Amino acid sequence: MIKFKNVSKMYPPNIVGLEEINLHISAGEFVSIVGQSGTGKSTLAKMLFAEERPTRGTIEIGGWDITNIRSKDVPVLRRQIGVVFQDFKLLQKKTVYENVAFALQVAGVMPRRIREIVPAVLNIVNLDKMHERFPTQLSGGEQQRVAIARSLVHQPKVLIADEPTGNLDTLNSREIVDLLQRINEFGTTVLLVTHDREIVNRIKKRVITLEGGTIVSDVEQGRYKL
Amino acid sequence: MFVSTYRITKFAFQNFWRNFWLSVITITMLVMTLVTVNILLILNYVTDQAISSVEDRIEVSVYFEQDTKQETVDSAVSYLRGLSQVRDVVTISPDDALKRFTEQHKDSPVVLDSLNELGGNPFGATLIVKAKEAQDFTQILDALENPQFRDAIREKDFSDYQQIIERIQGTTERIRFFGLVIMGIFIAIAILIVFNTVRIGIFIHREEIGIMRLVGASNWFIKAPFLLEMILLSLLAILLVVAIIYPGLAALEPKFSFFFANDSIGLIDYFEKNGLRIFGIEFGVLVVLTLLSTSLAMRKYLKV
Ligand SMILES: Nc1ncnc2c1ncn2[C@@H]1O[C@H](COP(=O)(O)OP(=O)(O)OP(=O)(O)O)[C@@H](O)[C@H]1O
Ligand SMILES: [Mg+2]
Repeated sequence: MIKFKNVSKMYPPNIVGLEEINLHISAGEFVSIVGQSGTGKSTLAKMLFAEERPTRGTIEIGGWDITNIRSKDVPVLRRQIGVVFQDFKLLQKKTVYENVAFALQVAGVMPRRIREIVPAVLNIVNLDKMHERFPTQLSGGEQQRVAIARSLVHQPKVLIADEPTGNLDTLNSREIVDLLQRINEFGTTVLLVTHDREIVNRIKKRVITLEGGTIVSDVEQGRYKL
Repeated sequence: MFVSTYRITKFAFQNFWRNFWLSVITITMLVMTLVTVNILLILNYVTDQAISSVEDRIEVSVYFEQDTKQETVDSAVSYLRGLSQVRDVVTISPDDALKRFTEQHKDSPVVLDSLNELGGNPFGATLIVKAKEAQDFTQILDALENPQFRDAIREKDFSDYQQIIERIQGTTERIRFFGLVIMGIFIAIAILIVFNTVRIGIFIHREEIGIMRLVGASNWFIKAPFLLEMILLSLLAILLVVAIIYPGLAALEPKFSFFFANDSIGLIDYFEKNGLRIFGIEFGVLVVLTLLSTSLAMRKYLKV
């Protein structure tokens, strides 16, 4: 599903983002990526949805070499990858429903399809009763669920979550991780970037640890070390 | 496709209304630029009219001796007609010349009396030679020095409009220069303002745009509202200019006619016949300029 071959990323002037990353993630896996601040976790994630291009090496996703993806193909890629961030990235002036619908509107999806998809994904994240609320009227956990719902509208094969629980308390964090696991059970490959020891230990799935831009450990059913 | 068009249009109108005053400023600048362009056009047209109306009056009257043979006159006519500077040659026979003269001086008995005293027809054939342009004039006079008929010519009479034309040209040249400078400045300002409007638009919508990018909106979908908004502003500007220019012309036309001492210089006529083309071209150029400026701003601030 996802292949990194000798991938390095240098940020100008000469900051190392990633160095010589070799990585293989199969379809349907749930992978946690851990490591201290500034070790290149977000850089790795960003390269998957072509927010950053590698300086060296090649990246493949679903058989598609996205190493030097053209800017007009980036939207095509992003409709196949869901992304979720620490800061939710919701539009404050739109309701829950509208925020989710927005992702479909900008892709030119017909209104009738939108009316089908949006309630369905909001149902997955358990926000049936909150369609008309605005983000300010939601808890952090609820906002993150809206973001997850939005990331699911195109039925992505891969979901990338970069510290989705960074702004949440323990209880809400658990809820989000449970949700991600459920999404993973439906067949979506999930990449979870996190700092949170407790979360990683709960998941008991593959854990990749980064340090200084390189992979220092990659274990099935891992625990948070460091 | 249709849904996208609808959504893009909606975004464009939202941009327009959310930055209402910015839109107003942008349109104002575009209108000012266009008005300058049109004033230059009008000036051009009026000058051309003025010069050609003066040029119409440029003629050399050639009076032949009374006893000149018709052949000599004819050969002079065909010689003159062969010159590239000559627009037209009109021959006036001695009889007609007499009639014209009496007609012209019918109110002054003194002149007529003296004519009578001479007895008979003192006039020879007369040629009225019209030049194509004011500066051709001297060449025509030179040509009349041709030995074939030089001695048959009693008198040459011409009014020197060259100076008048030079003055008209000199003045308009200066006005035109100023106009062009102002136009250049306005165009530069207009481009900067459009650039800035788009920049601010992008800034205001940065969050939305960022999210659009993340969820896979095509570059085109992100750019189109800004382009459409600018086309919309250009369209409004050109409509406003039309609404300003036509009443303006109606007010100006009588004033010009007064200077030209004839009924109409056809300014309104000219704009009625060519209005569609003139404003069409102006709109086209305006759209190209605003879109260029928009693209520049987008390239710089949108990075798509
Ligand atoms: N756009 C950029 N320009 C220059 N340097 C950058 C840029 N983005 C990241 N870096 C640097 O690259 C390194 C890796 O950054 P990255 O964001 O991937 O870290 P991270 O592991 O996600 O950290 P955190 O846990 O704090 O989010 C850091 O040293 C960072 O300063
Ligand atoms: Mg990070």
